[in-house]
Amino acid sequence: MSELVKAPPVLTLEDVAIAYKIRGGEIEAVQNVSFEINRGETHGIVGESGCGKSTVAWAIVNFLGANGYVKRGSIKFQGQELVGVTGEELRRLRGDQIAMVYQDPMQALNPSMRLGDQMSEVLTVHRGMEQKEAEARCIEMLERVYMPDAANVMRRYPHQISGGQQQRVVIATALLNNPALLIMDEPTTALDVTVEAAVLDLIAELRRDFDTAIMYITHNLGVVARVSTRVGVMYAGEMVERGTVEQIYEAPQHPYTQGLLRCVPKLGSDKVSSMLYPIRGRVPPPNNRPTGCIYGPRCDYVQDRCRNERPKLRQLPNGLWVRCHFAEDINPGEWTPSEDIAPPVVGIRDLNAEPILKVNNLKKYYEVKGTQLKDVLGLGEKRYVKAVEDASFKIPEGTTLGVVGESGCGKSTLIKTLIGLEDTTEGEARFLGFDITGPISERDQSLIQELQMVFQNPDSTMNPSYTVGQQIARPMQLFRTVPKAEIRAEVIKLLNSMRLGANYYDRLPRQLSGGEKQRVGIARALASHPDLVLCDEPVSALDVSVQAAILNLLLEIQQEFNTTMVFIAHDLSVVRFFSDQVAVMYLGQIMEIGPAEAIYTPPYHPYSEALLSAVPIPDPTVQQKHIRLEGSVPSAIDPPSGCRFHTRCPRRKLLPDDGQICVTDTPPWREAADGHRIFCHIPLETLRSFDPVISQEVS
Amino acid sequence: MLVKDCMTRHPIMISPETPAAKAQTLMIENKVRHLPVVRDGKRLVGLITRENLMVPPSDLGSLNVWEISRLLSNIKAEDVMVKGKALVTIGPEETLENAAALMIEQKIGCLPVIEDGVVVGIITEVDMLAKLSELLGGNVAGVRATIRIPNKVGEYAKIFSAISKHGWGIYASGGAETPKQPEFWDIVIKVREVSEEDLRAVLEGIEGHKVIDIRMIP
Repeated sequence: MSELVKAPPVLTLEDVAIAYKIRGGEIEAVQNVSFEINRGETHGIVGESGCGKSTVAWAIVNFLGANGYVKRGSIKFQGQELVGVTGEELRRLRGDQIAMVYQDPMQALNPSMRLGDQMSEVLTVHRGMEQKEAEARCIEMLERVYMPDAANVMRRYPHQISGGQQQRVVIATALLNNPALLIMDEPTTALDVTVEAAVLDLIAELRRDFDTAIMYITHNLGVVARVSTRVGVMYAGEMVERGTVEQIYEAPQHPYTQGLLRCVPKLGSDKVSSMLYPIRGRVPPPNNRPTGCIYGPRCDYVQDRCRNERPKLRQLPNGLWVRCHFAEDINPGEWTPSEDIAPPVVGIRDLNAEPILKVNNLKKYYEVKGTQLKDVLGLGEKRYVKAVEDASFKIPEGTTLGVVGESGCGKSTLIKTLIGLEDTTEGEARFLGFDITGPISERDQSLIQELQMVFQNPDSTMNPSYTVGQQIARPMQLFRTVPKAEIRAEVIKLLNSMRLGANYYDRLPRQLSGGEKQRVGIARALASHPDLVLCDEPVSALDVSVQAAILNLLLEIQQEFNTTMVFIAHDLSVVRFFSDQVAVMYLGQIMEIGPAEAIYTPPYHPYSEALLSAVPIPDPTVQQKHIRLEGSVPSAIDPPSGCRFHTRCPRRKLLPDDGQICVTDTPPWREAADGHRIFCHIPLETLRSFDPVISQEVS
Repeated sequence: MLVKDCMTRHPIMISPETPAAKAQTLMIENKVRHLPVVRDGKRLVGLITRENLMVPPSDLGSLNVWEISRLLSNIKAEDVMVKGKALVTIGPEETLENAAALMIEQKIGCLPVIEDGVVVGIITEVDMLAKLSELLGGNVAGVRATIRIPNKVGEYAKIFSAISKHGWGIYASGGAETPKQPEFWDIVIKVREVSEEDLRAVLEGIEGHKVIDIRMIP
């Protein structure tokens, strides 16, 4: 449509309040939310968990459940009021014009139906189309979302395709009816960065081609910066700031937005030169919100007026909407962290220190049992999943090794093998000079004590019926590191250093928030004063402000006890921030390893380069190279011959014969600099000549 | 430039059972003049325009106030909409000229755009005019010149080569036969970052060409 013709917004929310009826009253989960989405626009909604983002989305499609309802305000879709509309009318609007994509594609798809059947159902039931014709349309749409081998996918079941492909199927299904409004609730949160980047590209393209208005809900500030034209920031059920992406990221006016942006590490920044500042406190529950400004208790600029009077969402002269009494007076440049959130000062780590852990050609294979008779009898050829192949590295004492890679690349297997949860197939691993490749039952108690682990999901690693104190005390009792009488005092000391306080001693895990649980998990890992802590995605399940606090805590501990760490994360900015050395893994193979700063600048391994160009960066002015990997990680049962990455490598054609050598030969390790090694056939000079992936736009 | 590039996607649509009064409010509130009427799955059954909703005063003369309101509240979209043969539609892959010709021939202001039996958009005279304005360079600053050239092959190209020789770029252009003078052709061009005098000098330097209008669009 022409720019000259101004169309009314597709969706308008005015002063919406959403309440849930509960026993003995009701809770207003969302209050005073107003925004509008124009045609062909992506409107991002960001905020921490529990801020009411999804509730707003559910209210739009009247999906609040039996006890939820829109209490005040109006939701208008294409000029038609949605609040109070029920039955046939709503069904028609929703089915034809509004589509929704949820976070977990596996839950959106019916596991017992073929994909083709569930997709074409949309057309046959809703539009009365013939089955044959509907199928043709579905295949067309699947091709539109770049699904490889679309016709075949139609005959498969959801579990037979990868997560990224599942999400594509969900998006394709949502688009079959050509909706005017597409609501996406964290559509890429469950996906790998490389897949996420491809899905985000797809969303941008579909918005352009179908002129669909998109409401994009996410907690990831980087993703919002990449896809949205405008952004609304939600906090505790209210919209606190709204503006264009550039305004929000360059000059946020609300203290909460400013705080959020201080919580995320910028890609390329490290722990020595930059700091993360968590926001103190946590989001208040909806039934216990302060009377004045909702953000008041956590705000650094709080004044008497904020405590008594709730600010209104008002427009500043530059067009930004903000809910703060003093937005004009706040200068984020003059902000200084208050004492309770001050981050630790980190010194430069010595990479030449004595290595505490030496790993040499470590291999971990899992045997795959065949189903044929000869396999059962043990006569068939043995097949293996090669989860970790020839891993070699050294970790100097007091430093951190970051491990990155897509899911299924063997990151977790690597550290599970080190800690002894899995036995080693082959190779050498020496920790403090002791061999740790044998089964854990034969491992010395004192060795176990020195090697501890922090898990990804604190919920599933804590016993729900033990108190926090008991859980932390257990390693102390077991390893007898502390005399029995002093255990309680020691636990409280540890709790204090986790900023939890003595009153947490008798609490149960269910009484803690996600961030607090992870702190207890870290405290437990540290209780035996280990020399090496293995962290498996310790912050990926947490909100950004909590994530910043946990990262600071880990840094502080490392500083104090000179602890060595192995840190797995899929967020490359976090790894860069936190680690001294980084290893990039692909399909069980370390592809590149070296000092953190060396990994993030050329020469790159082609895989590292692709990963970097996929990371969403919370800064809309940053320019990234556009490299997208095709397909998904191949099966580890039959890894590709030669270089394992050759099936997806975008740089292969740089070699003669279209990189025939990558298919046939295992690549050599190339020493790029001191301790920086790249596993690739492409000569270093060529790798060095690549432009940096990330460049700042000169404004 | 096909219908799909010019149409409004996702128009507001109503069902045949919608009361006419509601259709009227929807049109006024959203400042639109046409509402496609669709059944399940966006299948077009009719079209409501503002004219449809006008009731001739003669029909009302014989009714009293109470009867009028009762009558009006019972009217549904399907009772007043354009339907059957009078409902003219177009496909998204058609050319704009075809759409225009259809609208002129039928003297209508709007065409629902149909693909596979489903409404995918709507194209109105306003969309067409917006495109026309864009074709001629819209409100973009620059020099707009109208040149009368002989109606012969190769004359149009002379303008382009003369302008490109000076390193200027043509932002927009259009041409049509001069009314009532078939031996001439009128060309409108817009050139940016050039002064009126310079452009005039270059254009008048071409033999047989006459600048009949030149103006600066600030």
